[in-house]
Amino acid sequence: MKKPLLSLVNLNKYFGDFHVLRDISFDIEKGEFLTLLGPSGCGKTTLLRCISGLESIDSGDILLNGESIKDLAPNRRNVNTVFQNYALFPHLNVYDNICYGPRVKRTLTEEQLKEKVREALDLVQMSGYENRMPHQLSGGQRQRIAIARALINQPDILLLDEPLGALDLRLRKHMQAELLQLQKVTGTTFVYVTHDQDEALNMSDRIVVINQGEVQQLGTPLDIYNNPKNLFVAEFIGDRNILEVDVLEWAEGSAKVGLGSQVVQIGNGRHQLYAGERAVLAVHKDKMRISCTPVPNALVTEALSIHYAGSQIRIELAVVHETEAGRERITVILYQQGDCECRPGDTVWVSWDADGAVLLPLEPGWQGRVLV
Amino acid sequence: MKALRQNALAIPILIWFGLLVGIPLVYVVVVSFLSRDDLGNIVWQFTLDNYRRILDPVYLRVFVNSFMLAFLTGLVTLLIGYPVAYITSKLDPKRRSLAIGLIILPFWISSLLRTYGWVILLGNWGIINNVLMALGLVDQPLQMMYRFGTTLVGTAYMLIPFMIIAVYNSVDKLDKSLLEASYDLGASKRQTFLRVVLPLTIPGIAGGFTLVFIPALGLYFISDLLGGGQTVFLGNLIHTLVNRGRNRPLAAAFSVGMIVMVILVVSIYSRLTKNQKEGLLL
Amino acid sequence: MTKANRWQTIYLAVFFVILYLPVLSVILYSFNANPSTAKWTGLTLDWYRELFDDLKKHATGEALVVSIQVAVLTAALSAVLGTAAAIVSQSLSERMKKAVQWVMLLPLLVPEVALGVSLLMFFNALRLPFGHLTLVLSHSLFCVPYVYVMVRLRLAEIDREVIESARDLGATRWQAVRTIILPLVMPSIITASLLAIAMSLDDVVISTYMSGPRTTTLPVHIFSMMRVGVTPKVNALCTLILLGTFLIIGLNQVVSMKSKTRGLSN
Repeated sequence: MKKPLLSLVNLNKYFGDFHVLRDISFDIEKGEFLTLLGPSGCGKTTLLRCISGLESIDSGDILLNGESIKDLAPNRRNVNTVFQNYALFPHLNVYDNICYGPRVKRTLTEEQLKEKVREALDLVQMSGYENRMPHQLSGGQRQRIAIARALINQPDILLLDEPLGALDLRLRKHMQAELLQLQKVTGTTFVYVTHDQDEALNMSDRIVVINQGEVQQLGTPLDIYNNPKNLFVAEFIGDRNILEVDVLEWAEGSAKVGLGSQVVQIGNGRHQLYAGERAVLAVHKDKMRISCTPVPNALVTEALSIHYAGSQIRIELAVVHETEAGRERITVILYQQGDCECRPGDTVWVSWDADGAVLLPLEPGWQGRVLV
Repeated sequence: MKALRQNALAIPILIWFGLLVGIPLVYVVVVSFLSRDDLGNIVWQFTLDNYRRILDPVYLRVFVNSFMLAFLTGLVTLLIGYPVAYITSKLDPKRRSLAIGLIILPFWISSLLRTYGWVILLGNWGIINNVLMALGLVDQPLQMMYRFGTTLVGTAYMLIPFMIIAVYNSVDKLDKSLLEASYDLGASKRQTFLRVVLPLTIPGIAGGFTLVFIPALGLYFISDLLGGGQTVFLGNLIHTLVNRGRNRPLAAAFSVGMIVMVILVVSIYSRLTKNQKEGLLL
Repeated sequence: MTKANRWQTIYLAVFFVILYLPVLSVILYSFNANPSTAKWTGLTLDWYRELFDDLKKHATGEALVVSIQVAVLTAALSAVLGTAAAIVSQSLSERMKKAVQWVMLLPLLVPEVALGVSLLMFFNALRLPFGHLTLVLSHSLFCVPYVYVMVRLRLAEIDREVIESARDLGATRWQAVRTIILPLVMPSIITASLLAIAMSLDDVVISTYMSGPRTTTLPVHIFSMMRVGVTPKVNALCTLILLGTFLIIGLNQVVSMKSKTRGLSN
């Protein structure tokens, strides 16, 4: 098996009493585009800074090419960072900014630098900007110079800390494509931090989902999207309806659950569950189908409202059953009008494909239930 | 361990300044407990005499004089300077920069020059008296020099820029929306000033007062030039004791007394601004 | 302009007039033909002529030279110490930061007389020669805090990521200081140095105690002239010093103008 480029082993970090990174262990492969994804405050940026050396770790190890770098100062690691606010040196022009790394490390002669800088600027499509000062550049342009400045050092890993956060939507989409292209062309391993799941799903080879300092799931975008390992990932990634159900029967590959008096057969029952348990059924909102006539293995619901939002048709429904708490709400997203043109008050049958839903253990203290 | 590495660089700094400032001060405290011989040399013999002599009414008077001078200077600079700071903060940006420049400018001008100017203005044959007599408002020159008030004027004049800047910083930091909320709720300008602005600018006032009080204790050349030795202040006394009186231990005792006064004022300042984030200079 | 505003403007105007009246009086009287600081009798340049003679041969000239030497040395020493302290401060723990701040600001908390007397006794006990050495040491004591504060302020304005990025790209701590931090705080260092020069040139109290048998600074010299109550020559001297002060201020303005044209953040 190929040896990983970077290994995090039981990494722990505290800010005073606050346990910000808890026992983090995973590997990063050479040449991959790995994203650290999670909500604000989950520790992803801290983890990035630990890898770069700008933060120290309290226990555990970081191995680069098999060797421990946890005690090395940031300037001694062959790892470079692209900062959220670009951090270009305001008193140096573009050329000198890009040259900074090689100059302080004396890795290239001035002659070689001229050539390398030209290449770097070409790579980020900023040729000819050598003499500009940072304050003369726009946000997107500074972004590219920051990337060039890092890449010219040919780091083993390039760390990017929410680099597109400060850009407007259209520019962001454009830069995403550019960054991806850049990564493929240079073959550098990218570790990317973001809280935007679309960005992560779009660009990554693999995603590490982090919450409250712990790794929730590590996998390819498809994996994470279709097979969330726990409730957090199911809620954080993708847009799903999450319903509380009773487990009536369970076997690997199939299960029967009850929602009030209704019973539904589920195909995707990977997590071990027992009859009598309360569980959670998570279904992608856009993988559901509606029908105005009865359909086998469907939930009976009452239509509440229909919205037309750009390319989507959003239909709000309430599951028909009596619970003490109220009726569970389901949102169905369609991209085109089907046979069933329902109106508020109509009875609608809702069904879905096996791979659009997943059954997960209910976690104590979960408060995500959406009731009507 | 990590803490030690992080703070290693600070140690030379602390040492340098500790030595240069700390040791002389400690030395002065030590000397204040010593005696002297007839030639004026310091004799290493412990005595509380120096401090007993401080309680002598004559000497006690000096402490009171200096304290009064410093305190009144603070008061005067506050009363005159607060409006200046307040008005300046409400000017439009261009005029504001000009005003601030004009306020700070004297700070760069020689302090002797600034003090001597008052000698010329207030002298019996000085400018003010000349003008008054020329206008026929008085028959004889007004005796304005060599009084307690003269020294007060000179000291306040010297230190008022400090007070103004301290207050200005505080006023400037005020959230304008607080004032608007006050008006919105029905308060008049006067009420808003008394109930909102004044309380919120106390850090600035305390800071300014401290910044003025401390130098006021020590600028003895002002009382020399303007007060003519009529009222004796600590600064003059210490100076005389060191130079002509050849009584260093006593001078040391008085210096310690002066420092104690300062510590009192600074601790009052700390107490007042305990919960605020703005410090004296930072 | 509303009525309230009018009163405010008047207050401010009157204040500034009174603020500059003494200064203008000194300048005015430097031209007073009357040899004693008394009635105004007419215009003359005599005092300036006398002054120039003095400068060439007498104590005044020597005092001026001493003052300038001390001021420059003080500014250099203070700049180095204050900047070093400010930069080192950045990477300290919170408690140490406070400790350093207290130590740095300590000289300002002691009235000059007390400080002067303490240093006098201390240097005496050490048997240090009184003169340039003691003057520069004592002057730096009250100049370093100003350098420290001003550089600290400017450092705070620099984006932390800029400094981290230098380290990230491979610079050692010293390289980062030399190539990134120093260039960016230089305007503050220069302003603080000019301030140090001005304060050193102006100091009366501490210099009185720190001067040596043959080394006097200009202010101490002027002070003794003033006490004796002498000719308006003093006024002339003060006026010339005023011109020198404006020169320094002008220099300062030029430096700040230049630093404004480059932004400080990205």
